[in-house]
Amino acid sequence: MKTVYLVDGKRTPQVKAGTEFKDIAAPYLGHHLVRHLAGKHNIPSTEVDEVIVGNTGTPAKYPNIGRVIALEAGLDKKTSGYSVHRNCASGLEALSQGFIKIASGRSQLIFAGGVENMTQMPLMFGKKMTDLFMNLMKAKTATQKLSLLSQFRPDFLKPIVAIEQGLTDPFCGLNMGATADKIARELGITRQQQDEFALLSHKKAVEAQQAGKFNDEILPTAIGERMTQILSQDIGPRDGGTLEKMAKFKPYFEKRTGTVTVANSCPITDGGSMWLMASEEAVEKYDLKPMAKMIDYHFHGLEPERMGMGPLLATHGLLQRTGMSMSDIDLFELNEAFAAQVLGCLMAFKDSNVSKRWGITETMGELPLDKLNVNGGAIALGHPVGSTGSRLVLTLANELKKQKKKYGIATLCIGGGQGGAALIENLQ
Amino acid sequence: MSYKNISFEIKNELAYVGFGVDTSKSMTTLSQETLEELEKVIGELQGLDKSKKAKGAIFFSHRPGVFLAGVDISLINSLKSEDDAKKGCERGQNLFSQIEDLKMPTIALIDGICLGGGLELSLSCNKIAVSDNPATMLGLPEVKLGLLPGFGGTYRLPKKIGLPNALDIILTGKQVRANKAFKLGLADFIMPAERLLEKASEMLNAKPAAKGASLTESLASNFIAKKVIFQKAREQVLKTTKGFYPAPLRILDLLESTSGKRRAAAMDMEGQAFAELTQTSQSQSLQHIFFLTDNSKKLDTDKSKLKQVKKGAVLGAGTMGGGIAWLFAKNNQAPLMKDINKDGLELGLKQASRVFSKDVQRKRMTQDDFERKMRSIEPTQSYDGFKGVDLLIEAVVENMDIKKKVFAETEKYVREDALLTTNTSSLSVEEMAQALQKPERFAGLHFFNPVNMMPLVEIIKHSKVSQETIDSLYNWCLKVKKTPVVVGDGPGFLVNRILMPFINESAYLLEEGVSIEDLDRAVLNFGMPMGTCRLMDEVGIDVLVKVGKIMEEGLGARAKACSLSAKMTEGGLLGKKSKKGFYLYGDDGKSTGVNPEAQKYLPQNKKKMDETTIQMRVFLPMINEAANILNDKIVEKAADVDLGLVYGIGFPPFRGGLLRYADSEGLDKIAKAIEEFSHSVDKERYGLSSFLKDLVTQGKEFYDL
Repeated sequence: MKTVYLVDGKRTPQVKAGTEFKDIAAPYLGHHLVRHLAGKHNIPSTEVDEVIVGNTGTPAKYPNIGRVIALEAGLDKKTSGYSVHRNCASGLEALSQGFIKIASGRSQLIFAGGVENMTQMPLMFGKKMTDLFMNLMKAKTATQKLSLLSQFRPDFLKPIVAIEQGLTDPFCGLNMGATADKIARELGITRQQQDEFALLSHKKAVEAQQAGKFNDEILPTAIGERMTQILSQDIGPRDGGTLEKMAKFKPYFEKRTGTVTVANSCPITDGGSMWLMASEEAVEKYDLKPMAKMIDYHFHGLEPERMGMGPLLATHGLLQRTGMSMSDIDLFELNEAFAAQVLGCLMAFKDSNVSKRWGITETMGELPLDKLNVNGGAIALGHPVGSTGSRLVLTLANELKKQKKKYGIATLCIGGGQGGAALIENLQ
Repeated sequence: MSYKNISFEIKNELAYVGFGVDTSKSMTTLSQETLEELEKVIGELQGLDKSKKAKGAIFFSHRPGVFLAGVDISLINSLKSEDDAKKGCERGQNLFSQIEDLKMPTIALIDGICLGGGLELSLSCNKIAVSDNPATMLGLPEVKLGLLPGFGGTYRLPKKIGLPNALDIILTGKQVRANKAFKLGLADFIMPAERLLEKASEMLNAKPAAKGASLTESLASNFIAKKVIFQKAREQVLKTTKGFYPAPLRILDLLESTSGKRRAAAMDMEGQAFAELTQTSQSQSLQHIFFLTDNSKKLDTDKSKLKQVKKGAVLGAGTMGGGIAWLFAKNNQAPLMKDINKDGLELGLKQASRVFSKDVQRKRMTQDDFERKMRSIEPTQSYDGFKGVDLLIEAVVENMDIKKKVFAETEKYVREDALLTTNTSSLSVEEMAQALQKPERFAGLHFFNPVNMMPLVEIIKHSKVSQETIDSLYNWCLKVKKTPVVVGDGPGFLVNRILMPFINESAYLLEEGVSIEDLDRAVLNFGMPMGTCRLMDEVGIDVLVKVGKIMEEGLGARAKACSLSAKMTEGGLLGKKSKKGFYLYGDDGKSTGVNPEAQKYLPQNKKKMDETTIQMRVFLPMINEAANILNDKIVEKAADVDLGLVYGIGFPPFRGGLLRYADSEGLDKIAKAIEEFSHSVDKERYGLSSFLKDLVTQGKEFYDL
């Protein structure tokens, strides 16, 4: 296998859904990142092999968002582009595809990342209304049309909310939040533990923002209906939260007995992230100074109703695959879909009595808090589903560079019952 | 049987008449030669018509993108008398009437531009088919030359598309795209260009779709409605032309009197009106400007060797920077826009967005394109990506030290072959060039505000610049549809230097007691787009103080700045930007009347001066300074001065430009008037240019140079 370099990455600010990014079509959360990275590293528009973009909401207007981004970014028309979907890990799937293609010697330069505009996920007509429309189109005479119209009932207009459906597991029927509640009650994770963890995430994120730690990874993005303002900071991290305030939130998913609230879960978010990946040859040819090497990745399935434990299995598999152990890893980015699920993973890492429920009989080793999500996580920064995978790797690479540390793992749980993880090595 | 310009052949009993055979010319026009050939072709068609050997005639073009760009304008320009013009008209009218009178069905297949005589020819066919090519444009632009369509266009267009729509097209000279032409009923068919010939015979025999007269059309045929339409049109014309241009009014008169007349009578009246217009000074001036413009579009060099611009960059956002970013974005040159802070960048984005938004409002741009173009501008505070830049335009604050520093720094981040330019309006390009390691790729590129409205760009040379750089910039200007003028370095370059005495003398007149209203009225009545006081408010009175100083330093006593603007600046009257200057301005930027506060700075006792004297006081020093400019070799030709002033400050086109106006008035008369002012007003400011003096002694004109 050939070495795979992560040359440089950028992301948009991550913005709470329904706010500053509400007017931006999803491709425009990625095209300027590609254009900027290509320009910054002086990559000719004709020399990019592939643009791979993770996206889950697939806007009807942009069925293949990867190709749209390649063209909008000004890359040559011959550039191949495609889109990948692995739910919450779509951005990581894009990087993994790039990894395989470069490692196998098939490609030299690849843009990989993800974009998601969750605000713009649509409301849809239900089956009854859709059928009515279809039959009306087929109807030939006015009488037929009238008789069809007479079947109409107002409840036909009740919309299906795409995002709500997308966040509900089709196999087990649970909403993602409900799967987190399940982990919390099975592993005995309390409401207070979750709230404390969430509060800490906000605190770390606010501190990181104030210290300008995201400046290197965020590319300012034009916002507003007329694109006349520039946004260069995440909208999500909150200063001045307290446990008392957190305690006021009602359980959102298991309304009666649950512990998972909107405050200890990640918010619905819009954003995009992108990496320039390169082979050894391309690094030499274009005189690139890569940030990191991508060493390997791993995906692993588990029961959908406990999808939040995915990082445990993905990390385990990745360490086995690479022959490394928890203590070799300097920094972790473990996506905070829900505080409960992160805490569950932390329990399992240090206790084989927990991890054996998922078939891991040895104790993997503790993941200390000072190595975990040091700049806060998705609870504060948000989780634009298609993008998060590559965003985690981006934040991780930047932090490894700042701390001058070597190895980092980015890992996340995946709706539908999977986990994904990637191992990178800092080169700066 | 084929000719040099027109092909003629009969296939399957159909006669094919093809234009654009001769591709050596840049455009296919109806030249003298083509018209002669066309007469022969029509003769043949008439023969075929009698012998019934052809079942239809098809007019098309061999050349993609051009059907016929109209009658060769030098042919029009050669018409030296009304009689000449009338005869010329009759010849074309007869020719096209012969097409109309053919018994066989006829069709024009239009792919690409089809203007003036080209459209009039098409109108004489039974049917018109257009290609959906974006280059397909139909129009009757004669009014822009101070003329009207003289080959039956004023008779046939109203018949084809109704009076209101015909008036709109003939009065404005605007061009309509294929889709619009089809909607108007100007075109009977629309299809991809490749299908036109294939479907021609089918279209010839197709029955025209029965169209019910639209509401406006049926209204328009009513006698009273017609009166109202003409009345409204007349009001509109007077509002836009301020009465300076006779052609639109003549067009209205003509259409009103030919309405309902038979062909022969209508043609006769059209020919007469056309002939009269050809001899007006306005038309001749407009033709002059047309030739100047046309010439400026020619670049005599191997274009393949020039640097091509795929990506632009602008340094310093703000109003100018944003305008320049807009221009790059509009032309798909996805610019980087760099500034030192977010506020500046947002100001630049606002400027670009404002212009693009207007296009969306006017439905010239889709919302998708708006988003794409706006997002092609990359606001940045770093030099990341500058290696990809082909053309950089600096528009930071007007300060030599800062600009030098910026260029010294920028040069480290751009490619060696990138074109670097400054949008300075007043600083020495020669001096700025010293800051660069590779000055040969550096030049001035001076835009006028607002960038989207003002066509002129001054390309400013300095001693180390390469010809390749100048040519590449010239070529880029043409590509982005700007009008470039190459000028030498010197205070105010070309346009601002000539503007200087105009503004300065206006200020002196105000100090002498001429009222703001009288001054502006005199300037407007000369034909300028706005009065001087309004102009000063637009530019910014504080800016004038700054520029005035530079002019005075560079040009000496004759440019001694009037102290009025300095006093007003001190008092906070900065013009439109502070909402008060000579006039007051509302939040929407519209003037709400003269600012009473300005009177504080002006004499109590007002002086009445007649309009002509005011005009002479402000326009003669401009002519004098233009002579100095020619003397200093800032530009080489009178034509450059005239182009610069028409496209840079809107000098009235019907006067043909400043120096053509001077020539037409008589240089001896002008020199004498200037000398008189030098005694009665000021020796320095009206010191006669030695260059102008020499011209007078030699009995030459500016355009003899």
